[in-house]
Amino acid sequence: MANSEQASYSPGPRRILIVDDSSLVRLYYRETLEKAGFATDQAINGIEAMEKVLAQPFDLVIVDVNMPRMDGFSFLRTLRRAAPEVATLPALMITTEAAEQGVGEARAGGANFYLVKPVSEADLLRHAAILTGAPP
Amino acid sequence: MPFVKRDTAIPSAAALSADEFAAHIAALGSRDPEARWRGARALAGRAEAVAPLAVALGVEANSRVREAIITALMRIGNAASVVALVPYLRSQDAGQRAAAIEALQALPREISPFLTALLADGDSDVRILATELARNLPAAEATRLLCGLLSVEAHPNVCAAAIDVLAEVGTDDAIPVLEQCGRRFASTPFLPFAAAKAIALISGEG
Amino acid sequence: MALPGTQGPRAVQVTREEVERFCDFLYRRTGMSFTEGKRYYIDRRLAERIAATGSTSFQSYFAILRSDAHDEIERVVNAFTVNETYFYREDHQLRCMTSNLLDEVIRGKRTGEPIRIWSIPCSTGEEPYSIAMWLMENWKQVDQYDIEIVGSDIDTRALDTATNGVYGDRSLMRLSRDLIDRYFAPAPPDGHRIDAGLRNSIRFTRANLIEVKDMAHYRDFDIVFCRNVLIYFDDSSRRIAAENLYDCLRPGGYICLGHSETMSRISPLFQVCRFSDAIVYQRPEVDHGQL
Repeated sequence: MANSEQASYSPGPRRILIVDDSSLVRLYYRETLEKAGFATDQAINGIEAMEKVLAQPFDLVIVDVNMPRMDGFSFLRTLRRAAPEVATLPALMITTEAAEQGVGEARAGGANFYLVKPVSEADLLRHAAILTGAPP
Repeated sequence: MPFVKRDTAIPSAAALSADEFAAHIAALGSRDPEARWRGARALAGRAEAVAPLAVALGVEANSRVREAIITALMRIGNAASVVALVPYLRSQDAGQRAAAIEALQALPREISPFLTALLADGDSDVRILATELARNLPAAEATRLLCGLLSVEAHPNVCAAAIDVLAEVGTDDAIPVLEQCGRRFASTPFLPFAAAKAIALISGEG
Repeated sequence: MALPGTQGPRAVQVTREEVERFCDFLYRRTGMSFTEGKRYYIDRRLAERIAATGSTSFQSYFAILRSDAHDEIERVVNAFTVNETYFYREDHQLRCMTSNLLDEVIRGKRTGEPIRIWSIPCSTGEEPYSIAMWLMENWKQVDQYDIEIVGSDIDTRALDTATNGVYGDRSLMRLSRDLIDRYFAPAPPDGHRIDAGLRNSIRFTRANLIEVKDMAHYRDFDIVFCRNVLIYFDDSSRRIAAENLYDCLRPGGYICLGHSETMSRISPLFQVCRFSDAIVYQRPEVDHGQL
């Protein structure tokens, strides 16, 4: 059942860090992801997210672009500059900009993909599965 | 023992003379970011400095200095400083927006007169930021303003932001408006979930 | 789900989402942040506050909290930070200092340049004395450097106690008999006095974290311990304190906060550094103009 091309085998559920300053959004993502078998943790902004990423291993970080304090792009920049084991952590950016500029910035910032909010459960799960290398 | 104790006397803090004040204002325009940082910090809480601080905020490229200018304006915290900060809610620069929001969040009484207009702003991003500013208002006022927004708002992300704040501060008066919003956006992702959760939190059913 | 440990005829039911709402609010207001592992601790403290305020529901308690009636926010912060000070409190940070931070600090030192460490607020002195003792006990290079330790507080009575250096059993509870014998002498009737050598080697001063002018006299610190005080400040005071601390640090210098505090709500001026014993914050070596 496991994808034979996975680079590493991690026992237990895939761990996803949810970074959004809205507690309702975090709850929505968490319930959706946990129902599908993922383990989740949360951070309210980019700085707290950095602290968590440095403290525990994650398979994916989902990060909102528009957060106060350290916005999503700053977070990605800092993440990619950090130690090698976290610099390659896959990131899913949640943006409000559907325009080309938003996509371009997301790609340049080191995100693996982006979604426009409000995000549907189906889109969230599909991208979480792809980006963590989990079976769909 | 390797511990060294230096005895240096600390002079008492002096009041700010007119010359010193002028020097700090001038420093705000220095080419040296360190001088601008010092100038901004020295002007924190000084109401006479609102205008030059506001001007400096508009052109400051160094994010550390910008933070110090924001702090200085927050510390002044009067209507004039709010007027200086509000335009930065529209800034294209995420850092400037974030700094302005943080400063204004700390000034709920002073921002209150501006909120009705900001919640009706033509720019949806400004409306989103305005909902955040309602968070620190007294519950009844926040509820009134956000319900007013929700009953006419068409942009889902603005609704999401308003619902998030209502989940924390909303009174029972918000429940009918939230129900209606959930119905209106029944086929939009997230909003029905958010409205239902907010209602549950407000009514104490978790 | 019912909370454990509540007194009274009926325990108030609090859901997981309500606990999160409480934590979110506390975080926004004070900067206090808790990991999943602290869940039981939060549940218990929250139950205590609900009971203490006579609230019959989480909702009614939350309204009290939001409006900060009867200084509820300060009471909550007090409930969540163990307020008593004692020797070797949060020693994982002391361990981080000797295991990691000092290696980085000495890298940039010229010969004869001292290492400067600041404890602010130092309260009655346990923290700066602990730093000194810990260094002597655990840092192999302690005799190769001049080390200046400063302890500052806004409370002059606390500073008097610090300079006097007499402590009771509670303060010494985490110290081994061996350490007490080595660094203290009995001070009847029921105290111990820290050795004159240590008392005389720490500079105690009165300073106010929020006063820019006060803080202007403190510069070039390599490590600052600023634990469990910023959470008590309002938003603008926290920012001013953070800016002051930035200026007081050498470029590349470190700040250690309290165990449930995070810089995320306080200031973006510092970089996060994760070591095996602690998360600490660092003033950037160079200001590139972007935080």
